[in-house]
Amino acid sequence: MAVTEQPGRALKLPLLVGPPSVKACCHTGGGIGAGPEAPVVALVGAPNTGKSTLFNALTGSRVTMGNWPGTTVEVSRGIWKTTRDAASCTCEECTCDPSELRLDITLIDLPGAYSIDPHSPDEALTRELLVGVPEDERPDLCVVACDASRLANSLYLVAQLRELGLPMMVALTMLDVAAKSGVTVDLDALAVALGCPVVGIDPRRRTGLEALAAGVREHTGIAATPRPVPDTTDALELDDDRFTWIAQAVTAATSAPAVQPRTFSDKVDRWVTAPVLGPVIFLAVMWLVFQITTAVAAPLQGFLDDLFTGPVSAGATWLLGQLGLGGTWVEGLLVSGIIAGVGMLLTFVPLMTLMFILLAVLEDSGYLARAAVVTDRLMRSIGLPGRAFLPLIVGFGCNVPAISATRILPSARQRILTALLVPFTSCTARLTVFVMLGSVFFGPYAGTAVFAMYVISIHLVVLAGFVLRRTLWRTMGAEPLIIDLPAYQVPTLRLTASVTWVRLQGFLKTASGIIVATVCAVWLLQSIPTTPGHAFGEVPVAESAYGVAAQSITPVFAPAGFAKWETTSALVVGFVAKEAVISSWAQTYAVDEPADGTPGTLGERVRADFESSSGGHPIPAALAFMVFLLAYTPCVATLAAQWREIGARWTLFGIGMQLVTAWLLAVAVFQIGRLFL
Amino acid sequence: MYVGSDLASAPLHTALTLVHAPDSCRQRLSSLGLRIGAPFSLVSRTTGGGRVALVAGSRIALGSTLLAQLRVEVR
Repeated sequence: MAVTEQPGRALKLPLLVGPPSVKACCHTGGGIGAGPEAPVVALVGAPNTGKSTLFNALTGSRVTMGNWPGTTVEVSRGIWKTTRDAASCTCEECTCDPSELRLDITLIDLPGAYSIDPHSPDEALTRELLVGVPEDERPDLCVVACDASRLANSLYLVAQLRELGLPMMVALTMLDVAAKSGVTVDLDALAVALGCPVVGIDPRRRTGLEALAAGVREHTGIAATPRPVPDTTDALELDDDRFTWIAQAVTAATSAPAVQPRTFSDKVDRWVTAPVLGPVIFLAVMWLVFQITTAVAAPLQGFLDDLFTGPVSAGATWLLGQLGLGGTWVEGLLVSGIIAGVGMLLTFVPLMTLMFILLAVLEDSGYLARAAVVTDRLMRSIGLPGRAFLPLIVGFGCNVPAISATRILPSARQRILTALLVPFTSCTARLTVFVMLGSVFFGPYAGTAVFAMYVISIHLVVLAGFVLRRTLWRTMGAEPLIIDLPAYQVPTLRLTASVTWVRLQGFLKTASGIIVATVCAVWLLQSIPTTPGHAFGEVPVAESAYGVAAQSITPVFAPAGFAKWETTSALVVGFVAKEAVISSWAQTYAVDEPADGTPGTLGERVRADFESSSGGHPIPAALAFMVFLLAYTPCVATLAAQWREIGARWTLFGIGMQLVTAWLLAVAVFQIGRLFL
Repeated sequence: MYVGSDLASAPLHTALTLVHAPDSCRQRLSSLGLRIGAPFSLVSRTTGGGRVALVAGSRIALGSTLLAQLRVEVR
């Protein structure tokens, strides 16, 4: 099991630290971490060296991983269940079965750091947890993940930790990548040169983990002799000493060809980061992602839609009838509320799954780091470094982790600006509504309409950033692009499935938490009559509390062409979560049957409402609605994340900015669009 | 001899040595292996006028604004 801890302003993490491994025995375990007496092992290392993959392999957890820097921005903790030699058990009255001596280790996965000189909050957090806490609260062992294919760059952190004399060992990853470049590493020679144990592992394929476990068992709690350093406070002189030490270690332990061959990554990078072709490839990749997502998911959505509106609803109605609850408010809540709403939401699971798979493949392959390079110029126009693109691209999956990912930025002002721009990135929850409206209004061009929303989303980010940069952020300096490009790799099924499952779980948790609560709240409001003569649960929607509230804000949207309470009420619900927009429509239309009694599909009802509210211009009105949906507040979970990262003042500023932008854009789209369509 | 030129005008696929980096980013570059005196080469141009540098097996993308501030020598 694992938990992710949210480091707040105070970075101190309550490590469950006890004496070294001597006391750990098969009796340890339980809780978050392996118990107060279990040894604590910290996984550290430069970004993208495979720490999180290793953490997941050792603990069986699913921390988000990716082949790009900055994937881990929080601290995760898990239990590494391992065993130890019976002979090594020092418990005086041990009652364990000698063949099953367990050693549970509390494993913590720290954010990637090239050094303990912090350049960003996540690197600062790593420093704080390793050297900022009192000695008795420090981990019992640091396992430093180092990339064998670029060993020299991975060893700077090792050099600094060795100076402190912390108990540590090195886990060497990417040995296969190094071998492809003709580089071989002598692990024993490296261990001698570094003065600490070294093991070779492949966390992606889960090899070498036993050797790592043996090393951890042997060296936990054993402090190393600090590496001597020059008696100076001059940072440059200290750096020179470290690099000389690193160079000596690399020379002693590796053999490499005199001229490094051009790797597959170099050949691919020649095209994908090229001045003209790079942006074209980037746009083509993004277009392909959304095209595949919409085209492949559509038939699956249809199947699930038929399932929920047909057999599931009919079965629930029959069952309630058998229980004597037919025609009561209970049937209304279950069938017209929860099943219609959540059922509609669940039909989008295939869509979300596909999107998450494709994003995971892009991350794991190493392409997203190149995307940050390609978009650097664009980001620079709004005064943000290329690295700011990383949280923004995460935002296209979900805005909530994207807000957390702003921690990879070194300056507080950059983080606030990026956190304000993230909500303009079109998350997958909005995608579900775009796909539905695209199918209803644009037929075979649905994919292109959805893609257009993503293009508008990118322009919105740039435009809002440009305006903020030249107003509130005009004094902010610009940071040059410096980004480590990982080698391309073939995405593994295990990693892709794991990342996809983590994100899908997040979506499903939202569905079963906020969304169910929202759907029930909507049903409740729709059941409360505002005019006399109606009983609870037997009121026309237009005369319910929900209808009246929606009607009161509806005139505001008249200039945007969708001043219909059924439409605007969905926006109110969408403030809580965009996933709930369609479910609230499903609820509204399922409850509010047309006068002629024809059932009609949800799409037909929505189209009819847009037709009437726009005065015969449904397409520009639908476009205006989609743009409004794109630009206004994404969801309450995003607001909560913003509140945590940038404070209440900037969060409220962001809400206001998004609502004003959304309304102005929607009005402009409709007013211009109706001249042509 | 290509002495003390800025990195923006340095040729691709040529062995280079860094001779100067601005204080503001020297440590960041150092932690990635690109330090004063370190050998490296440029392997490709990127969108926006940047370059990809090959440093001790690592590929590091450098933005165009930074290139003009880094001084290098051809080895």
